[in-house]
Amino acid sequence: MFKKLVHIFVLLLIAAIFYAVSFYANDWFSLTMPRHQLLQLPIMLVLGIACGCIFSSFKIKNNAYGIALLIFIMASLIFWMLPRSIDLTIVYPWFNRIMHLHILLVGFLIASVLPYVLFEAKIAFLLMVASMLITSGGTLKVFKILLCSSFTIEQQNETGLYLMFIGIIFFVGSIIFFFREIAKAHKKN
Amino acid sequence: MKNFIPPFVALVICIAVIWKWTYGFSAFTVFSYTLRDAGTTPRSFPDIQLINQDSIVFHIKDKKKYTLVNFVYLNCPNVCHKVNNRLEEIYNKIDSNIVPSKLELVTVSFDLKNDNIKKIKNYRNHFSSNIQGWSFALPYQISQKDFDTYFKQVGIWAKAAPKSNVINHSIYLFLISPENKVIKVFDPAREDNATIINEVYTCLKS
Repeated sequence: MFKKLVHIFVLLLIAAIFYAVSFYANDWFSLTMPRHQLLQLPIMLVLGIACGCIFSSFKIKNNAYGIALLIFIMASLIFWMLPRSIDLTIVYPWFNRIMHLHILLVGFLIASVLPYVLFEAKIAFLLMVASMLITSGGTLKVFKILLCSSFTIEQQNETGLYLMFIGIIFFVGSIIFFFREIAKAHKKN
Repeated sequence: MKNFIPPFVALVICIAVIWKWTYGFSAFTVFSYTLRDAGTTPRSFPDIQLINQDSIVFHIKDKKKYTLVNFVYLNCPNVCHKVNNRLEEIYNKIDSNIVPSKLELVTVSFDLKNDNIKKIKNYRNHFSSNIQGWSFALPYQISQKDFDTYFKQVGIWAKAAPKSNVINHSIYLFLISPENKVIKVFDPAREDNATIINEVYTCLKS
């Protein structure tokens, strides 16, 4: 009973944060590229992951479907990193909300798939996300041409720099995770 | 074999969606997508009536010569002025035997609300005193809706930023042939003046 109440409370909290980020503070988040890409989008992802943790009974343990969903997650992240997609989310608030819901779903799926999928697939996914973050960050940092019409080149470069940092941290984290899991497996054997 | 089907299907669907979204991985920004969406070159340049700084109404298609067209708005905080400064450099480097006899330059303001003939005339005066063959113009007798359609057909992305006077837009230069076809599109952000001039000369010779 208590656990159920906690879940309901957390779900309400998630809904409140979603409303605040997606509706109430949307203009503020849409004002600069770092806010939009490095705050609003990850908040939605974290909310999705939190949702996934609450509905922990929803687990995808089948590797074939798990890998298929990881491909969907990866493609979704790529899709919302494309300059055209970013621009349209700024121009059309309804499109931005589609992105929020989509990223929320992606977060939910990450929590439901990633812990249970094949180790090799898990590592490949984490490294691919890290390399995507580093590559897109590098592109945004290096390009002196405006890629998103709604923002400035300075904001674009700043976003790129932070994305690269996040990507590198993600990469290091993935490597540590890889060796830890290998060590664990070694001990077991 | 059965295990390969879900990942394979997911991969195909995801690639197909991104393929469609980016015009076959060729247009990743709103600028390039709008340009690509307008069609590949050579294509007809859509026609509207324009009015120049001397209040003369004209059509680009009636010029029957090569025309280099760009689109700006006068309240632009910087990029439009940078592009026009580049255009002035290009103008000055092009042989005077070519401009205006074979080639003309037309800068069109697309801010139907704020720009007028007086403003474009004053703006034109900021450039070299003798810029014969370089007109500054406004769309003439056209509704905003029709102009938006025209812009889309040209291949220009333009959207007013919310809660500001800024209009985010493409800065392409369109080279129009005497037959009123878009034969070349230049991106001044990527191409330097020498490249643009060389390309223009090549088109004029062919």
